[in-house]
Amino acid sequence: MADTKSGRYANSNATSGPSGSSSSTPPNISQLVQGPANLECKDFQEYLRTRQTPETLEKLYNYPPICLAVYRDLPEIARQFIIRILFVDQPVPQAVVSSWGAQRCAKEQQEATSCLTSLNVWRVTAIPGGLAAWELSPTFKKSVRQILLGGGKPWPMTNTLEKDSKPRDIAFLDSYAMSRWRCVLHYMVGTGNRNGTDAEAISPDAVRILLHANLMKRDERDGITITRQGFQFLLLDTRAQVWHFMMQYLDTCEERGISLPECLSMLFQLSFSTLGRDYSSEGMSHQMLAFLQHLREFGLVFQRKRKEGRFYPTRLALNVTSKESADATTAIVTMSASEEEERMQDRGYIVVETNYRVYAYTDSPLQVAVLGLFTELLYRFPNLVVGVLTRDSVRQALRGGITAEQIISYLEQYAHPNMKLVESAINSKSCLPPTVVDQIKLWEMERNRFTYTEGVVYNQFLSTTDFVTLRDYAQSIQVLVWQNEKTRTMVVQKNGHDDVKRYWKKYSKSAG
Amino acid sequence: MDAAADVSTSTKEAKESESSIDLLVIVLDTNPSQRIVRQNPQNLTQILEAMIAFGNAHLMQKAQNKLAVISCSHHASNFLYPLPGRQVEVRQIDGQYEVFSQVEKTIKQQLGNILMNAPRLSAPCESLLAGSIGRALCYISRLQRNTPPGIKMHSRVLVLTGSNECSSQYMTFMNVFFTAQKLGIVIDTCSLENPVSLLQQGCDITSGQFLKVTQLDGLLQYLLWVFLPSPQMRHKLVLPPPPKVDYRASCFCHRELIDIGYVCSVCLSVFCKYSPICTTCHTVFKAPAALPPKGKKKKKTEK
Repeated sequence: MADTKSGRYANSNATSGPSGSSSSTPPNISQLVQGPANLECKDFQEYLRTRQTPETLEKLYNYPPICLAVYRDLPEIARQFIIRILFVDQPVPQAVVSSWGAQRCAKEQQEATSCLTSLNVWRVTAIPGGLAAWELSPTFKKSVRQILLGGGKPWPMTNTLEKDSKPRDIAFLDSYAMSRWRCVLHYMVGTGNRNGTDAEAISPDAVRILLHANLMKRDERDGITITRQGFQFLLLDTRAQVWHFMMQYLDTCEERGISLPECLSMLFQLSFSTLGRDYSSEGMSHQMLAFLQHLREFGLVFQRKRKEGRFYPTRLALNVTSKESADATTAIVTMSASEEEERMQDRGYIVVETNYRVYAYTDSPLQVAVLGLFTELLYRFPNLVVGVLTRDSVRQALRGGITAEQIISYLEQYAHPNMKLVESAINSKSCLPPTVVDQIKLWEMERNRFTYTEGVVYNQFLSTTDFVTLRDYAQSIQVLVWQNEKTRTMVVQKNGHDDVKRYWKKYSKSAG
Repeated sequence: MDAAADVSTSTKEAKESESSIDLLVIVLDTNPSQRIVRQNPQNLTQILEAMIAFGNAHLMQKAQNKLAVISCSHHASNFLYPLPGRQVEVRQIDGQYEVFSQVEKTIKQQLGNILMNAPRLSAPCESLLAGSIGRALCYISRLQRNTPPGIKMHSRVLVLTGSNECSSQYMTFMNVFFTAQKLGIVIDTCSLENPVSLLQQGCDITSGQFLKVTQLDGLLQYLLWVFLPSPQMRHKLVLPPPPKVDYRASCFCHRELIDIGYVCSVCLSVFCKYSPICTTCHTVFKAPAALPPKGKKKKKTEK
C-alpha cells in the first residue's frame, strides 16, 4: 500500500560500466566512446556517395576521366561485372549477373552490387517477362567505352605543343613537388615562420583551406595554430594528405565560383597523365586557370611562369585516388636501379628496434616534430634523432586522438630501406618488429577497457523483496546491466526499460 | 570474434590485391600459315583489335597493372609492347586514354614493321610458340627481380593462337611449363581453332584456363569473360570447367603423340620404337632378354 510508489525509476540516460557507480548523464555517449573528434579521411567512393546525389553523379559521368577514376575505385568483382556488360546493349537480368559469382563469395558479391547501385553506375529496370534487370548508366557506359576504345573529343589539356626547349626531367619534378608540399606542412607546424624564409610562406587561399578543413584554427592569442586533426593529418602518408587536402579544396570551390565537375575532371586528368610529359593549358576557362595556379602552389603541377601555356604534372598529382602508395610501383620498368635507390633513400629514414628505440636519420624539423608526437626523444645529432617508444609517450599520443594504427602506419611508411630487407620483414607483411607493433596496439587497447551501455537506473526501493523481484525479472529477460543489493540500485538496458516498467506496475498493483 | 577475424583477413586480402602489381604478357601468334589467317587475312586484323582492347582492359583495372605483348611467328618472336628504351610519344587524338592509345599505336606499328620484313613463306610451318613463351618468362623474371622490396608482383601469360599441334617442340614446351609452374606463373591459352593438347597440358600444369573459341566474332567478349580476372580473383567467379586434358607424350624420335612407348631409364626420354642407344643421353641399353627364342638359347648353353 504505502510502498506502491517506492520503486521510483530515474528516467534519465545514465551510463554505467562494469565498475559503474555514476548515474550522471554525459551529453553525448558516442563522443565519449570515440574520444575527441578524429580526422575523417574519406576515400573517393565515400566522397561520391555522401556528397553527391544521383543527378549530380550523372553529370559527373559526362567526364571520361571521372569515370575512369570511379571504375578503378570499384571493388574487384564489380569491375569484372561492369566490363562484362559494357558491350551488351540490353539490360541484363539480375539472376544472370548473380550467377556469375561463385556461391561462397556471395557476401562479397552483394557488397559489389550495392556499391554499384549506390554510385548509380547501374540501375534496376524491368525487362519483358517481369524480371528485374541491371542496366548500366548510359553516360557512364559511353564514357568508359570512349576511354577504352577511342572516339569522342580529346581531353582538354592535350593540345599539341611545340617541343619544350628546356624539358624538365622526373627527378627535378619530384624534388619540386616535394618542396612545395613540405611548405604547406611546415607552415602547419610553424617551422616555416621560425626560419623566417620568404619561400616558405603560403598563400591566403591555402590558409583558408587549412582552416576550413579544421586542420588549423584561429586563436586570439597565438594567431593560427595547428589542431589535433592537423597532427593526425601530418601522420598520414603524402598521398593521403594530398587527397584529403584536395577533397577539402573541392568543398570550397563552389564558393569561389568554380564548377565542381570541371575541377574533379581536371584533377583526374592530371592523375592519369604521364609523369615527365608537358601538357597545354590552352583553351582553358578562366576558372580552370585559377585552379591550375592553386595546384601549382601545392606542387601538383609545375609551371615555369604563370602565363606560360605549358605545365608538367608531378608525382603528387598522379593516381590520387589509389589507396596504396603506388608510386614505387609505377616506374619499375622505366626507372634505372640507381634512381630507384635514390628515391628509396629519400623516403625511408626511421629504424625501429625490438627494444623500442627509434633512430631517425633526418634533420628536418617537421619530421622530428611528428616523431615527437609519440616518442620520447633522447638525443639529437646533426643528422640523427634517437627516441624511444614508451608507454607514456604513446599514451600521450593516444590521448591526443592519434590511433595506434596511425602510429604504426607512419613508422611503416617511413621505415628505412634496410628495415625492409631484414628476413622477418620479407616473410611478414610489416617491416617493424612484431613486438613493438603488438605493444603499441596493446597500449591502445588498455585505454578501451570500458564498454558503454545506455541504461536506466532504478533505485530507492522501499523493501529488499521488491528489489529482488524486479532484479530477478530483469535478469531473466537478460537486460540487467549492474545491480547492488546493499544500496538497492540496479541498472537496466535502455531497450529493456519498458518491459521492466510494465512488470513493476503489474507487480506493485497486485501487491497493493 | 570469428566474424571480426574474418573481416580483417578479407580486408587485408583486398588491400594486398590492390597494392600488388599484375603483369600480363600476351603471346600473339601471327604466323601466316594459320588456317584462319589463310582463309581470310582480315581475321588477323580482327584478332589484333580484340587483343589490344583486351590488353587495355587489363591496364584499366588498376593503375599498377602492367602489360607486355610478344608476337610469335614461324621464324622469330618479337616484342610489340613495351619497346626497349623510351616510349614513343603519342598525343591524344580522341577520347581514348593516352596510355591506351600509346599501347594501340605501338603494337600496330611494330606488327606492321615485322610483317613487312618477314621472309616469304613457301610451305606452311609451325609457330615458335614455346620459344615465345620462354621469352615471356624471361621478361617476367627480369621485372620480378627489379621490383622493390615489399611489393608483390603476380604474373601470367596468355597465349592467343590459331596454330595446330606443335609436337616437334615438345621438349621446349615441357621445360617452359615446368619453369612457369616453379615460378608460380599462370599460363592461359585461348585457342582460335584447334584443341592444342600440348597447351592444354601447360594450362593444366600451371593451373591456368584453356578455352577454344567457337566464334571469332565474339573473341573480345570471350577474352574479357574468361581471361580478364586475375588468377587470385578467379575462384570468386564461375568460369568454364577445365576440359579433359590429353596427357599423351610425344615421342622423341618421330615427334608423334603416343599412348604406349619406351622410356629411357636414365633420362626419361620417350620413344615409340626400341633403340639400343638413347638418342638423348647416349646410354647403352642391354638387349631385351625376353626377345631371343628359348630353343636357341638352350642349344647354346648345351654347346
